[in-house]
Amino acid sequence: MSRLELKHVYLSFGGVKAVQDFSMQAEEGQIIGIIGPNGAGKTTIFNVISGIYTADSGQIFLDGEEITQLAQHRIALKGISRTFQNIRLFHGLNCLENVQTTLDASSKYNLLDAILMTPRRRKEEKRTRQRALSELEWVGLGEYVLENPENLSYGLQRKLEIARALAADPKVLLLDEPAAGLNPKEVQELMKLILRIRDERGITILLIEHRLELVMTVSERIYVQDFGETIAIGTPAEVQNNPEVIKAYLGEEE
Amino acid sequence: MSIYVESVLTFTSITCITVCGLYILTGLTGMFSLGQASFMALGAYAAAVLGKLYHWPFIPCLLVGIILSVVTGFLSGYPIMRLRKEYLTLITLCYGEAIIALLNQSNITGGALGMSDIPKHTTLIIAILFLIFGIYFAWCFRHSKFGRMAIAIKSDELASKSMGINMAAVKMRSFLCAAGLAGLAGGLYAFYLQYVDPSLFGWRKSGEWVAWVFFGGVNSLTGSIVATFGLSALSQFFSRFADYQVLIYSAMVLLVLNFKPNGVFGYWELSDLFNTRDRRMQRLLKEAQTREGALKHEQT
Ligand SMILES: Nc1ncnc2c1ncn2[C@@H]1O[C@H](COP(=O)(O)OP(=O)(O)OP(=O)(O)O)[C@@H](O)[C@H]1O
Ligand SMILES: [Mg+2]
Repeated sequence: MSRLELKHVYLSFGGVKAVQDFSMQAEEGQIIGIIGPNGAGKTTIFNVISGIYTADSGQIFLDGEEITQLAQHRIALKGISRTFQNIRLFHGLNCLENVQTTLDASSKYNLLDAILMTPRRRKEEKRTRQRALSELEWVGLGEYVLENPENLSYGLQRKLEIARALAADPKVLLLDEPAAGLNPKEVQELMKLILRIRDERGITILLIEHRLELVMTVSERIYVQDFGETIAIGTPAEVQNNPEVIKAYLGEEE
Repeated sequence: MSIYVESVLTFTSITCITVCGLYILTGLTGMFSLGQASFMALGAYAAAVLGKLYHWPFIPCLLVGIILSVVTGFLSGYPIMRLRKEYLTLITLCYGEAIIALLNQSNITGGALGMSDIPKHTTLIIAILFLIFGIYFAWCFRHSKFGRMAIAIKSDELASKSMGINMAAVKMRSFLCAAGLAGLAGGLYAFYLQYVDPSLFGWRKSGEWVAWVFFGGVNSLTGSIVATFGLSALSQFFSRFADYQVLIYSAMVLLVLNFKPNGVFGYWELSDLFNTRDRRMQRLLKEAQTREGALKHEQT
């Protein structure tokens, strides 16, 4: 049984066939790359997995349990967390609160506890607060705890988004172009962080990325998408030498 | 204190309880309701009917008013919590006006003439005590997971849901809290004025309150409260020029929002004075030490 499995997933927007017959399997602790030219349907695959859109047909399984039709927040609570291509942090909350909010979704106290300041509320608040703090420290944002996210640099905002996703203790983490807009040094740091997430926490990672040096280094297997279809699957070396892939990428540059 | 000043203060305190609910609904969650006054009407009429016709005591009348508002809020809100926030404005407007129309027709409550000779239970002190409760409620809401989730929904619904937040539940919770506080304020209002009629609770009132919250700062409880007291005192003062009141108001709100889009107070809270960022950080780190200490303790 795979950690995450997609079987023949299709999704169209009107006439645009964004995802066609996409199948994949990811095991525990694997890093899977997804690459392809702009508009190939990569983000849409993430959106289908995380429940923003429901597949037109096909099935999605997490640890053998079908999650295809579940509501977005239920899928998140089952253990699939994600970041966004165009960073989507919560404005009006500081870094700590941004991360804490993920834990709040499953924190166990009610409105009466909140108003009466019961021990249960205090205990849960302390737990989520400290967990959020250690998550921030873990990705290297320890000094920005009470900062507002909009005051952080682009690279740090990306890290904050990853911390927020990790706070859910996910089984699967979907990273949508985490290196976009980062300088080479930040890309190196990000690469280390991604490997640490896999090695220290055993989380399965799906990685969409245009920066080939990053995907090629960390991925165990790569899916190449073009116009919604999978045109190649294989190890980084196999994919790099695949004529179809070269054509798709060169075609894009023309 | 002159009777005039006392009545202005009492009415403003009562209104401010509703505004505390609006801070939760509009300020934290980013939803707009034009039906808050009608929830207040439900609380007021519950108090009037039970207090005058059935001679119920003060607190049970208030409780029934709150429950009535919350239940009505649930029924009106349930179908639309999954839809875009804008629908709530429309639905609350329609529901609110429907409630007023119903009250206009209802015989037991005196139709458009309303009800008078309601017993007087509310005093300035009682109004202030309930206002303190309202402020405390809003403050607790903000500084709990409920406040954070509400702000997350206001900021980004899609990302919130991807973090496991049940959006419909968060919106509903905020909506019901606001409805309940408005219902409470309604009861206090009826027991102070000793008179109610449907025209007191039209949607214009609701709109005015939303404007106050924006004026003071949607993101600041302090701002919402200060704006309520300031603007409502001002409106008493300007009531001699009732015709121009709306004009003056609108001009002020537009000016403020033009130059300070986050309202006069922005994100500032009174508690920031003593609860500075440095202090919060220190407390956090101290708490973290006890956590790590506890961990080491377990290991050895
Ligand atoms: N909500 C939507 N409504 C209509 N069309 C959409 C929607 N989302 C995506 N599409 C279309 O689906 C196709 C795939 O888009 P998608 O965002 O998945 O591409 P991508 O591979 O992530 O591209 P990029 O590398 O630019 O991020 C595109 O043609 C896009 O215009
Ligand atoms: Mg994309």
